Amino acid sequence: MTLLEVNDLTVKFYTQDGVVTAVDNLSYQIESGEKFGVVGESGAGKSVTALSLMRLIDSPGQIESGEILFKGEDLLEMSEEEVRNIRGNEIAMIFQDAQTALNPVYTVGEQIAEAIRHHLGHDEAEARERTIQLLDRVGIPEAETRFSDYPHEFSGGMQQRAVIAMALSCDPDLLLCDEPTTALDVTIEAQILEELEELADDFDTAIQLITHDLGVVAEVCDRVMVMYGGKPVEKAPVEELYYDPKHPYTVGLMSSIPRVGDDRDRLQTIPGTMPDLVELPPGCSFHPRCPYAEESCTRKEPPLLDPETGEEAAGTANEHAAACLEYSGELQGGLDYSVEINDSQGEPTAVNPEGDRND
Amino acid sequence: MRRIYESGALHRDDEHFTPNKRDRSYRPQALRSLNSTRLSRSLLPNRFGYRAISISVSTPREEFASDTAIPFQVTMKNTLPVPVTVPTNSPVLWTWDVDGTTNASRVPLHDPPEESGAFVFDRGERKQFTKGWQQLFRVSESEWEPAEPGEYTIGAEVNVDNADKKGLRGTTTVRIVPETATDADGR
Ligand code: SF4
Repeated sequence: MTLLEVNDLTVKFYTQDGVVTAVDNLSYQIESGEKFGVVGESGAGKSVTALSLMRLIDSPGQIESGEILFKGEDLLEMSEEEVRNIRGNEIAMIFQDAQTALNPVYTVGEQIAEAIRHHLGHDEAEARERTIQLLDRVGIPEAETRFSDYPHEFSGGMQQRAVIAMALSCDPDLLLCDEPTTALDVTIEAQILEELEELADDFDTAIQLITHDLGVVAEVCDRVMVMYGGKPVEKAPVEELYYDPKHPYTVGLMSSIPRVGDDRDRLQTIPGTMPDLVELPPGCSFHPRCPYAEESCTRKEPPLLDPETGEEAAGTANEHAAACLEYSGELQGGLDYSVEINDSQGEPTAVNPEGDRND
Repeated sequence: MRRIYESGALHRDDEHFTPNKRDRSYRPQALRSLNSTRLSRSLLPNRFGYRAISISVSTPREEFASDTAIPFQVTMKNTLPVPVTVPTNSPVLWTWDVDGTTNASRVPLHDPPEESGAFVFDRGERKQFTKGWQQLFRVSESEWEPAEPGEYTIGAEVNVDNADKKGLRGTTTVRIVPETATDADGR
């Protein structure tokens, strides 16, 4: 069943520098229990997308058009009261910075128990018991004693586990995770991602995982959407994206996945920075950074296309689509990269000869 | 319990653009002892408010070879020693254009909500915006066409009716010359 369906979502911010189009005509869907990844660098519109789902876009931001159907009902048409009911109950959110999500003056246990009482109407003893179970379930040792610890007594990883426990406390159908492990070190990150994946299966919760790190998506997700400049540039099941990336930006992101023993500065791998969202480059917004860009790329914006047929993508759940003029036959030089399987880790790596030359 | 959206969690220092970051022009006025918007509205009839703001557009050169980006700077200044608020037609506070074509686009890019906006200038404030024209006109949602060599006027105006008459429009002229001509110039 389709749990979430976002259709033609456009979000703009009216600032004195100009109109920031943070999300432009975005469509995607997430099935019940599915793990969906949204990947891109800072400023790609990932977080704004998540905030829109929670209807948390503040002035000067405006959700300008589109619909967000959650279980068939448009979140954008609901009253504030109805949305509040959904927030936390049916859609929960986990952020990068666990510390800001926890109140320093209450114990971790109290905060989770309070959420349970508030959303599920349990009495104090029941809420306490369920909290301890949850803390234990998310991998916090000696949950019963840790219940009365304050957030600062938890390590970063433990804090994030506590936040996950809080998010899961009301048994949500959709968990929005925005860079949930970015602040943590790599070993803890791997543990938490594994935990998150298991929990989502156990609780039958769908996940929308937002990250700049394609490696994280590979760990957890079934399907991926790569965003650039507020728009999706590639959508695919995760394996296809890995073994057969179709958009040069995806290839760039792949070659920037950090690897053990590789100490290149990962941010250098795709030269250039995310464009100004007030004034996107004309044509394909990726063209100033794309090693394959030609004149046509500066004159025409490619829609999401089926790479095999060159037809416009139908928007079905499992399709592979990419927004590059290569697939409409308008690129003369073609794309020229290859994917290598890295023996030691069995993970594919994109090799982008032109990109290296441009470094 | 503190809710996530009341906390600082939505702020990221690694974001180019933080969604909930306050724009300076939307600074909460409750923090000040006097509400400058209301004060300037009550003190200054709009026409004086308009006169207080000057606006100009400048480019580093007058001549540009075809196919190069033309950077330009828009400078707005409040010449009065009091804060001035200019009510605008929509939340879009100002626009730039090439020969009157807003954003160099022949198709409308924005469909702002039907509500007015307020362009707030502090006492003596100078605002500067750096933009660029790629020498292209957007001709449809997804297509751009290059501008022919010749003379073009780059303008910027505050989003009010008859901005020009109210002194809230600035312009500058640039010339696009075919590449060979500049080569011959030895540039
Ligand atoms: S359309 Fe051109 S600039 Fe955009 S990704 Fe394809 S080759 Fe690169």
